[in-house]
Amino acid sequence: MNMHTLPVSDTFVRVAEVWVPKDGRLVHAEGDYAHSPAFAAASVAESFAKGEGLPGKVWESGKPIVLKEFDGSYFKRRDAAEEAGLTSAVAIPVFAEDTLKAVLVLFCSADADHMGAIEIWEYMEERLTLADGYYGGATRFEAASKNISFSHGQGLPGGVWSANTPILKRDIGRAGSFLRSEQAAEVGLKTGLGLPIPTPGDNVFVLTLLSALNTPIAHRFEIWDARPECVGATRQAQLIDGLCKREGALWAQQNPPVDPTMVSAWMGPIGKVLGTGLPYVQREGAGLPAGYTSMFALPIYHEADLAYVVACYL
Amino acid sequence: MQKLVIIGAGMASGRMLEHIHETDPAAFSVTIFNAEPRGNYNRIMLSPVLAGDRSFEEIITHDDDWYAQNKVTTRFGERVTGIDRERKVVIGEQGEVPYDKLILATGSTPFIIPVPGHDLPGVVGYRDLEDTNAMIDAAANQGASAVVIGGGLLGLEAAAGLRMRGMEVTVLHIAGHLMDRQLDEAAGYLLKLDLEKRGIKVMTEANTKAIVGEGKAEKVLLDDGTELAADIVVMAAGIRPAGQLGQQAGLEMGRAIKVNAQMQTSDPDIYAVGECVEFDENIFGLVAPLYDQAKVLANTLLGQEDAFTVRELSTKLKVTGCDLFSAGDFAEGEGREDIVFRDPKRRVYKRLIVEDDKLIGAVMYGDTADSNWFFGLIKDGTNIEEMRETLIFGPSFQGGGAAASDPLAAVAALPLDAEICGCNGVCKGDIISAIEGGVTTLDGVRMTTKASASCGTCTGLVEQVLAVSLGDGFEISKEKPVCKCTDLTHEDVRRLIKSQELKSQPAVWQELAWKTPNGCHVCRPAINYYLISDWPLEYQDDLQSRFVNERNHANIQKDGTYSVMPRMWGGMTTPDELIAVANAAKKFNAAVKVTGGQRIDLLGIKKEDLPAIWSDLNEAGMVSGHAYTKGLRTVKTCVGTDWCRFGTQDSTGLGIKLEKKLWGSWTPHKVKLGVSGCPRNCAEATCKDIGIICVDSGYQISVAGAAGMDVKMTESLVDVATEAEVEEWVSAFMQLYRENAKYLDRAYKWVDKVGLDWVKEELSNPDTRKALVERFDISQSVYRKDPWADHIRNRSEQYQHLADLTEEAVA
Amino acid sequence: MSWVDIGTLNDIPLRGSRIVKSPAGCIAIFRTAEDEVFATSNTCAHKQGPLSEGIVHDRKVTCPLHNWVFSLETGEAQGADEGQIATYPVKIESGRLLLNMDAVVAKVA
Repeated sequence: MNMHTLPVSDTFVRVAEVWVPKDGRLVHAEGDYAHSPAFAAASVAESFAKGEGLPGKVWESGKPIVLKEFDGSYFKRRDAAEEAGLTSAVAIPVFAEDTLKAVLVLFCSADADHMGAIEIWEYMEERLTLADGYYGGATRFEAASKNISFSHGQGLPGGVWSANTPILKRDIGRAGSFLRSEQAAEVGLKTGLGLPIPTPGDNVFVLTLLSALNTPIAHRFEIWDARPECVGATRQAQLIDGLCKREGALWAQQNPPVDPTMVSAWMGPIGKVLGTGLPYVQREGAGLPAGYTSMFALPIYHEADLAYVVACYL
Repeated sequence: MQKLVIIGAGMASGRMLEHIHETDPAAFSVTIFNAEPRGNYNRIMLSPVLAGDRSFEEIITHDDDWYAQNKVTTRFGERVTGIDRERKVVIGEQGEVPYDKLILATGSTPFIIPVPGHDLPGVVGYRDLEDTNAMIDAAANQGASAVVIGGGLLGLEAAAGLRMRGMEVTVLHIAGHLMDRQLDEAAGYLLKLDLEKRGIKVMTEANTKAIVGEGKAEKVLLDDGTELAADIVVMAAGIRPAGQLGQQAGLEMGRAIKVNAQMQTSDPDIYAVGECVEFDENIFGLVAPLYDQAKVLANTLLGQEDAFTVRELSTKLKVTGCDLFSAGDFAEGEGREDIVFRDPKRRVYKRLIVEDDKLIGAVMYGDTADSNWFFGLIKDGTNIEEMRETLIFGPSFQGGGAAASDPLAAVAALPLDAEICGCNGVCKGDIISAIEGGVTTLDGVRMTTKASASCGTCTGLVEQVLAVSLGDGFEISKEKPVCKCTDLTHEDVRRLIKSQELKSQPAVWQELAWKTPNGCHVCRPAINYYLISDWPLEYQDDLQSRFVNERNHANIQKDGTYSVMPRMWGGMTTPDELIAVANAAKKFNAAVKVTGGQRIDLLGIKKEDLPAIWSDLNEAGMVSGHAYTKGLRTVKTCVGTDWCRFGTQDSTGLGIKLEKKLWGSWTPHKVKLGVSGCPRNCAEATCKDIGIICVDSGYQISVAGAAGMDVKMTESLVDVATEAEVEEWVSAFMQLYRENAKYLDRAYKWVDKVGLDWVKEELSNPDTRKALVERFDISQSVYRKDPWADHIRNRSEQYQHLADLTEEAVA
Repeated sequence: MSWVDIGTLNDIPLRGSRIVKSPAGCIAIFRTAEDEVFATSNTCAHKQGPLSEGIVHDRKVTCPLHNWVFSLETGEAQGADEGQIATYPVKIESGRLLLNMDAVVAKVA
């Protein structure tokens, strides 16, 4: 944990933290609080019982939660969050079948200049509809999203749901490219990251993070495929898609890819996720791509096996 | 400078231009035409652009800047209407351009099925960015419908992309199942299920009759009367080479423009490259041969020899979340055999096509992990007869299967204060600090922290720390691991046993992430030895982790009997000892052999007689000669000052003293000493692990000799003046060897690895030497005793059989 | 079914073996790290080495002469070697080891 004051990034996500179950409570595993050392202090010593606070509520309900209002809610660190200028949070549970492995919480800061959206889509009566979402100032987009629903394979949520794989969509503001493209274009939304979130029972959830050009969710995204159907019975993962503000496209130009980028368990930050099976947050230190000082990575499970790792570098 | 004109700015010509500019940018003044109003882009990636998984900007390979930098005159968006071969001029819509060399790279055009209505607005092929944009625009209307005609690779990719954009999509395929050229019916069925899961409707055996609509496409009518709403109709029913310009110009044609192996057409100044060519009756639709052609053409134009050959091809379906790979030739034919694997539960299908004991084609659906390996077999033309039975299961099945490996897990789990380099006291945290300070190589770590800079045995571990911190940026050199139970090397394991204070076998299996419950016959004896060596007072030797010889303290022979060799200190014996040996030989009917180690061997002793013969020899005051052990074997001597005219010192006495000090200790491999009374070296000391030559001024100690499969002379360690010093140096060397060497490395191999200089440096330090001797003495306090007496006392019944059932009556 | 008492579990060293002489030749009784017992022929299918003298690991034994590895459960040689040793039913009852004599006698026939 780094206590120096560093320039505030212009990304939508400001703070990332990982909570793991231990002795019946969720305890703090790691976090990147460079944006706010005071918030760090309030968080590191915390722990939550099932149902308590945001991580605890996620554990109890078994689904991802977006928190838009810290005031008057079950959120425990309200004052510290306010002081740090954080306005919303999304808590993502990591389930391997019925076992909760960890909770990744992302705190965002939105205002007139920082546009972005976090949405949770839930499968109900054969369609995906909006279960919850945070839209910052993008009210028209919010309205459009509440009125829309997706069928199998349709749109970013439908595509993620039927393929059961993370997808990074480009150019969502372009007409025809996205069902809500008109409203998305208005607020400059450009990229959409869709993640399947497995939960116990038959519930299907898709989490989407939509970001604008001048306040991206992150400056660099990576999607790694760790399924045995792709890498065999090894503890490895193959880079299948990615975009980087500095390096450009990270995906292989050939089909099939020749010498694709691979990483093994325990090698660097992605290897850490492959090895532990848990989300990972890193601030500075070795192993980050050139020019980046902060990252968070989320494992996505297919039943009991780690299938994908999605990494965002801020 | 020659004038080079290119018609078509596609992937083949783009690659060719790159080659030319890399080699000789001043060779040509280049003008390039393109019917599309843009330069070269990665056409293969249009499907992901359609789906929204890539942006068009991402797939541009040559932008305007690139053409400008490479001084290429571009005529984009302008069609070429004709070629005048006599005047050597290309006629474009906007004017003429003369050429010295002309390249036709016009690519292919999609085959539009000539049904009524095929030319209505809203009917598109799927070839270029215009088609893709038309499809994206059609999707802008909510609830719009699309019909894709053609259920091959391209058609399915189009359908998936359109569906992602929100359209209602139906795929029509004329054959009985999708992708009928690559897949059989069962696999085609799996693919259909996958697409239907995405909400895409699939109709097979569907023949299009007509496309109808008022001024634009509105419906598709099938032969069987079905009507499908369609705001856009995509024709993905195949491509045809675009050879019209060649035809018009009178070049030799087949299905496409015919070329030779240098890509030259029937006109020596006109070349062709890409999908518009026919070579040796082949036409081309995948990009790999196009890149090959581009290289050959570039070389040909630059005056270098090259020739194009047709190679094996492979491709993957680019539908997100759908794993389908195909390679080689899947057409049915005489003499071809299919090997098919199906797993309906996991929805996996694999098919191999074999001809003449070679793999010529492969299709994998649902699991493409081994695709590269199969493609390699196809490319190399490997004879697969031996592995035919298990071929379909992939590489990990050939040769017994491999356990999932996690080689870095143990090192990743080490705490920061774990000592990695014993020589210099460097811990994991120190190395990580250096890495965070910018060090990225092994040499860098050596320079900044000194880890791995002395004896070098911790190199493997240092590399693993670098890999864990830096991720895929760092490559570990491949040293062989101990055995199949682990990915760690002997050196890694020795260091970790010390630094993590692992004092039992279960601790090792657990902390070092062993793949088996309790090791195997390779690693158990090694681990047992390392634990004995590092923790002599805390760890108890485990007999069940020893080879039979060391467990039974006798040498097993080929017929299951044993040989018994009592010790003869320094090669000296007495009449009473000889009598005892002779009596034992008679009593137990043994064969008697005098050995090179200056003692007597009794052969042919049965296992159940061992305690008895030992007992007899013990009574005469004789103990085990450890002839079977990884420990001290013998100390050969010559007679020295006791008897010899030339003896300078009491070599026999010294030899006996050394044997009495060193016997009983376990070592990485057998240790043999020799003490010669003078430089004539009658005890052959100079080919021993440790050899001492007595001289007038004292004793010359040398080490690391060999006289087995390798023959090597010892190297000088030190010269000393007194017997006490000899004992000190020899014990210290033994202990250094015991603590550091890899199990089964003789002393000479170990010294070779760590360097005699390092050994000398360590032992020259009096404090180090003293500490080593102390540790040796502690170890000897446990092990310097007669194992025969021990076994007689404590486990003699183990040498007998458990029960004798030979007389059991049969009911 | 005739089961013959041949001794106790503790007569056999952990991860080790003792021999029982029988009409079918020497039979090796093995005890694994988990206190499971197996009985096989003592004679290696390769060059007749004494399997009871081998190193016992997991549920396998390695012949001390040339390192052939056999499964104690099936008697099959492992890895690239091809060969088979006889196996006999053996069980533990109240700490005593019982060997199935019928199987042994059947082998003699």
